[in-house]
Amino acid sequence: MKQEKRVLVIIPAYNEAENIVHVVRHMMEEAPQYDYLVINDGSTDNTLDLCRGENFHYLDLPINMGIGGAVQAGYVYARKYDYDIAVQMDGDGQHDIAYLDRLLEPLINREADVVIGSRFLEKEGFQSSASRRMGIHILSALIWLTTGKHIMDVTSGYRAVNKMFIKIYSEDYPMDYPEPEAIVAAFMHLGRVKEVPVQMRARAGGISSINFKKSIYYMIKVTLAIVICRMGYGIRRGKRDDI
Amino acid sequence: MIPATLRVTLIAAVICYFVIILYFLKQKALNLKYTLLWLVAGLVMGILVAVPELLVRIIHIFGIQDNMNGLFIFAIGFIIMILLSLTSIASRQNRKIRTLTQELAILDKRVRDLEENDVE
Repeated sequence: MKQEKRVLVIIPAYNEAENIVHVVRHMMEEAPQYDYLVINDGSTDNTLDLCRGENFHYLDLPINMGIGGAVQAGYVYARKYDYDIAVQMDGDGQHDIAYLDRLLEPLINREADVVIGSRFLEKEGFQSSASRRMGIHILSALIWLTTGKHIMDVTSGYRAVNKMFIKIYSEDYPMDYPEPEAIVAAFMHLGRVKEVPVQMRARAGGISSINFKKSIYYMIKVTLAIVICRMGYGIRRGKRDDI
Repeated sequence: MIPATLRVTLIAAVICYFVIILYFLKQKALNLKYTLLWLVAGLVMGILVAVPELLVRIIHIFGIQDNMNGLFIFAIGFIIMILLSLTSIASRQNRKIRTLTQELAILDKRVRDLEENDVE
């Protein structure tokens, strides 16, 4: 594989003291050829101290901005330092660095602009709870309705994007629960979105940022966000001139 | 018609309103840019109180039966508009704060990297 592409792995971390050291060390062992950047999203635990103590590469957001703002900080950084590819990978140990090359391949071969690591393509590894899977299928159907494209794992936060989308996402990235909305935004920018199969693990430690109580709010908010995002771009029938 | 006593009360209220806004502006506690809408609202209120026939006519055009109800509906309408504009201002500022925070964090990293290089 051609390795001249500069790749930045963005690892957003909010109160991930239990996982972050393991996640980053594992990444440094398995994929030392790639740069990484931990984004400490105003954590209230000792995530920052751990990053400092381990001498990790990290950004320290002075206030908590939520996953969207944190990931976007990574894209702004990637754009500023002229990276060719940016990967986002959760700081909680759900995403396995072993699949990184799978995510990068379609970008390096110029087959896609946005690659999503999907746990539903081969249905292996941690599949999430039944209720959550149903929610994901509903959102997936909604994205199909609004954009006409099939994406299975619309909430997966394991993604890689090329330079074109580093620029787009650094300028405008959805907030709060950004993953499904970011897919719609990608389609609206005439991006080619590809899913590749990955396996995910259940969280190694700590608690997920989306608990059961919030899931109803999540569905309503994301549904609205998708519809509004779709409306915001109007009818897109253009053709990109760079492919 | 709107009763005379009510008119006097309303005129006094509008005058108070303007005095308070101008006082805040003088103290620079309010940004003129964001105060314009309040001033326009006050102006419209003033005109309607000064020329109540106008208010009555407008109220009838909209098909509202009772004058007092009309007054309330107008007041509520203004408040909703101002709240909407406030929400939009808050959203815009939210966006600016986000950009500042991200830039700050990136600069912070750069400073750390430079300091590290200095030590070596």
